[in-house]
Amino acid sequence: MKCQILHESEGRLRVHLCGKRMSCRQADILEAWLVATDGVISVKVYDRTGDAAVCYVGTRDGVIAAFASFSYEKAERLVTVPEHTAREMNREYEEKLVMRVVVHGLKKLFLPKIVRVALAWLHAARFICKGAALLLRGRLEVPVLDATAVTASLLRGDHKTASSVMFLLGVGELLEEWTHKRGVDDLASAMSLGVERVWVKLPDGTEVLESVSAVQPGDRIVVRAGGMIPLDGKVVLGEAEVNQASMTGEALAVHKASGSYVYAGTAVEAGECVVAVDKASGEGRYDRIVRSIEESERLKSAVESRSEHLADRLVPWSFAATGLTYLLTRSVTKAIAILMVDFSCALKLSMPLSVLSAMREALSHGLSVKGGRFMEAIAEADTVVFDKTGTLTHAEPRVVAVVPFGGREEPELLRLAACLEEHFPHTIAGAVVRAAKERGLDHEERHSKVDYVVAHGIASEIEGVHAVIGSRHFVFEDEGCRIPAGEAERFEALPDEYSHLYLALDGELAAVILIEDPVRAEAADAIARLRELGLSHIVMMTGDSERTAAAVAKKLGIDEYRAEVLPEDKARFVREAREAGHTVIMVGDGINDSPALSEADVGVAISTGAAIAREIADVTVSEDDLYAFVTLRRLSEALMWRIRGNYRAIMSFNLALILLGVLGVLPPATGALLHNGSTVAIGLRSMTKLLDT
Amino acid sequence: MSWSKLAVFAGGVLFGTAGIKALGSRDAKKAYTQVTAAALRAKNCVMDATTKVREGAEDVYEDAKRINAERAAAEDAAVIEDQA
Repeated sequence: MKCQILHESEGRLRVHLCGKRMSCRQADILEAWLVATDGVISVKVYDRTGDAAVCYVGTRDGVIAAFASFSYEKAERLVTVPEHTAREMNREYEEKLVMRVVVHGLKKLFLPKIVRVALAWLHAARFICKGAALLLRGRLEVPVLDATAVTASLLRGDHKTASSVMFLLGVGELLEEWTHKRGVDDLASAMSLGVERVWVKLPDGTEVLESVSAVQPGDRIVVRAGGMIPLDGKVVLGEAEVNQASMTGEALAVHKASGSYVYAGTAVEAGECVVAVDKASGEGRYDRIVRSIEESERLKSAVESRSEHLADRLVPWSFAATGLTYLLTRSVTKAIAILMVDFSCALKLSMPLSVLSAMREALSHGLSVKGGRFMEAIAEADTVVFDKTGTLTHAEPRVVAVVPFGGREEPELLRLAACLEEHFPHTIAGAVVRAAKERGLDHEERHSKVDYVVAHGIASEIEGVHAVIGSRHFVFEDEGCRIPAGEAERFEALPDEYSHLYLALDGELAAVILIEDPVRAEAADAIARLRELGLSHIVMMTGDSERTAAAVAKKLGIDEYRAEVLPEDKARFVREAREAGHTVIMVGDGINDSPALSEADVGVAISTGAAIAREIADVTVSEDDLYAFVTLRRLSEALMWRIRGNYRAIMSFNLALILLGVLGVLPPATGALLHNGSTVAIGLRSMTKLLDT
Repeated sequence: MSWSKLAVFAGGVLFGTAGIKALGSRDAKKAYTQVTAAALRAKNCVMDATTKVREGAEDVYEDAKRINAERAAAEDAAVIEDQA
């Protein structure tokens, strides 16, 4: 495409695309195209002007060639353009923000005074209603202060101050709304990229694994415990307890039987059901994710964010100072001057800006955070609980060996195990299935019905034989299986450094599958760094045996571990730690981690894990690297540091303004200018990057 | 009753009947549409101008950063390394 270079410096080009107006979609395409070009570090496309700024390393020829060979049609074919970007929303909010400023300026310049006063009163009515409503409930918070300040200055005939205070408050509110939408949007686009797969039941009864997007209305899909119902539909077979919290906010599971309607985005807690699909994927999928995130935010917002409290706590003091000044000086003007220096607008402006930029920065490190208060909790946390599999280890365990018992054949046992485990969305299960595939052991679905117990294992009937597979606890204690006579010694001699998976047929141990799940290379170092960052209490949880767990914990430098834990134990441990006064971060990836994830102050999910864990978690890590978690902690601490620093700066600066004003050193107009100037300066500083790297 | 008050009253009656008609007429609506379109165009102009200013500011900022990086590099180059 024909382009013109508008500005050039070493390593940076700003180029105008000659052509018609650029739509948001086209801007996205151009951005995706340029990002995919070799040597390009960062790209910014300005859709309004049709310009693009590119930072690159190496020669400029590559970038020039990328522009020259660009066309929308070609780029759309060659690179993947994200379905949804925040561009349109950002554009809308930018517009709103600029228009507010412009309208405010125009009003000041052109409207006659009487109209401005009338408008100011009209505008103030909203603030007064809000303040009065809070006061009636006996709460002295920021809106009360806002309302008092605005009303007082209006009553004194100072509509100028009143309208500029209201203007700043309005801008702060808008920025807050933008922050929130932006966070949800970023997260939703990250989540909607993950491809979900479902079991589709063919008319002849066999089940095949397919991508959700391939499912047509009328198809039948099978959803089992721990799985997400990916599409709307009607239950035609089976019964299930469905958690609809993502739709209704109701935490208790709802019983669904044949004929009931189930909704996309809800999760099956227990049982299994066959669903006749009603609507194909793509219809409202993105909106569903956005809705579910918003819901989970709303549900959790009972824990009020402390940054809001910072501003609220100041309110009584402001009122007290106003009263005191009046008593001492007998001057209404000076007393009201204190109300006028509104701490809250600087606080309200800088908080959302700090949080917005921190969330965006987190996203650039592959971390989607569902809300600012989670970063706060991460910064304050002193305890972190890791579920070993998938977090401390690669989520790719490998089958080392199958040790047969009772004189059975090894390949046949692996085939059986794979056949059972295929239905279980767990990483260990995946390893067994993979091992069978690698050895060319194809299996047809031979068992009649899978009924499984989350985390312990699976029980099923295969050609009339009762087969169970799972942990030691499940196989030997719950199911009462025994070791074949004369083989106890062999059983005891099994090596300890591997995780064991037990397969039993008709109540007798048939095989022990040895699974190796190597810890991540960076795990020990990352844990040491977390400890340096003040996380004093690092706990590992695993379903492995005591001896295996001890060996791993020692290797990683973890001081506390829990072996042979069940999902409810994980949640209980988290709850107990919280009751003991700790702030707890839970890191996990599987279905069995879900209760613990929602129990913790912050649940962190590794995004390669189960869908339900991602849905429940407050933070998802898309990078397959434990250092990302270290970055998260550093980022959160830096954010809190900045928020506290802003708080102190705003407090001391404005306090000085008040004092100088009361003493009569500073004329009110200069005071107001300095106040607003400092608000903007702190706001701008809040948008800069938190971490150097 | 003075004549002027009567005139104001008559004017009010006239506005209440003919005036409202005129304000709601099809031609008036056309005028409103034109004015609204002009306002929207003005808004777009403002937004485009804002974007231009931002682009310019970013150019200046990036160049300024580069100047500082070059200065720092020059200062580093002026240091004689300790080889003892």
